[in-house]
Amino acid sequence: MWRREIDGLRLTFHLAGINNQNFVMRDEETGTYWQQISGAAISGPLKGRQLTLVHSDELTLATWKSEAPQGTVLNDVPEFTSDYAKPDWDVRMKRAPTVLSFPGYDLADRDLMLGIQAFGASRAFLYDRVVKEKLVKDHVGAEPVLLVVGADDQSVRAFRDRIPGMEGAADFYRITGKPSGALLIDAATGSEWNFQGCAISGKAKGNCLEPIAMIKDYWFDWRNYNPKTTVYGKAN
Amino acid sequence: MTRRFVFTLVLLACLAAGLICVAYPIYVIRPFRHQGPGELAVALAVTRFRPVITVIAAIAAVLAAIGYWRAGARKWKRVLPAAGAALVVVLAFLARVNVYELMFHPLVHPAFTAANEVKLDGAEKVVAVRVGGEARAYPIRSMSYHHVVNDVVGGAAIVATY
Repeated sequence: MWRREIDGLRLTFHLAGINNQNFVMRDEETGTYWQQISGAAISGPLKGRQLTLVHSDELTLATWKSEAPQGTVLNDVPEFTSDYAKPDWDVRMKRAPTVLSFPGYDLADRDLMLGIQAFGASRAFLYDRVVKEKLVKDHVGAEPVLLVVGADDQSVRAFRDRIPGMEGAADFYRITGKPSGALLIDAATGSEWNFQGCAISGKAKGNCLEPIAMIKDYWFDWRNYNPKTTVYGKAN
Repeated sequence: MTRRFVFTLVLLACLAAGLICVAYPIYVIRPFRHQGPGELAVALAVTRFRPVITVIAAIAAVLAAIGYWRAGARKWKRVLPAAGAALVVVLAFLARVNVYELMFHPLVHPAFTAANEVKLDGAEKVVAVRVGGEARAYPIRSMSYHHVVNDVVGGAAIVATY
């Protein structure tokens, strides 16, 4: 997700090509070509410019609706609905060939990763492993981070592991089944925190953890654009 | 070197330019093929400039074909240059078409439904954003088809991609 304005010019994007299985967009205003995964202009008058990232979350619709009851959802376009992804789309895509391969990490090219570019580093987390572990306490660069799985056991968010006003990393635990929607509790203040990273009870009530942008991507694509990436749980 | 020979060379050069402009980007930028950074840069540059290049080539080819006709060749020998010039003109039209932009259907004027009126199953995955207090969700079932949605959320112009 990107802002589509550069120097006050609003851009309209089209899908115009492919670069090692990541698509290339063309803006109709300047004719510049942009890489989807990086938001970087790779050819044309704006080459070298960078679109600004818009924070997004990949969630189940039910989780999103519980957090944003006033929100709106993109409509289907009836003439294309029959071509939309079937429920087993993920599984079928896993079998599709790739043109890049990065062996040596004990990962399949199309393993789904959660990738973070922050704090001067890139780090990838195997999605299946995060979902299994439910709460991952890790570091990106030198910064302590939390990856937490929502109550739906599918949606994942990442936060800086720092309670505002407190020194050092907090000690969080995941809890479920709370009618209040609490998903985390921290040992330092005993406060309960929801999936949006905000304290809903306890001493820290009213504070929110800083969200970290994270993208879900195939391993080969993530590694291609993040050659120095490290991988959670791997010796690197 | 006869005038007809010169016109033939011009025609062949125009034909080559037209063919390269149309075929090279298709050859490089095709699915399930590795794209090297150099060849991709050239293919995108060709794609950007080919509308102008192919029009110049088409005009030059037509003029060369006319010149060839006037140079007094036998009738049956005139057919080939005319056909060549016609092909360069066709290539000039084809150079204005990007196959990907025909195949894919990004959304330029998306429409939306309130969260509490949506009929989709709660287990459907969405990509969600919140900008300026406004929340928007893009179901992956449709995003994996359209890939690109030009939108405005909370007053900010954004492009949703998947």
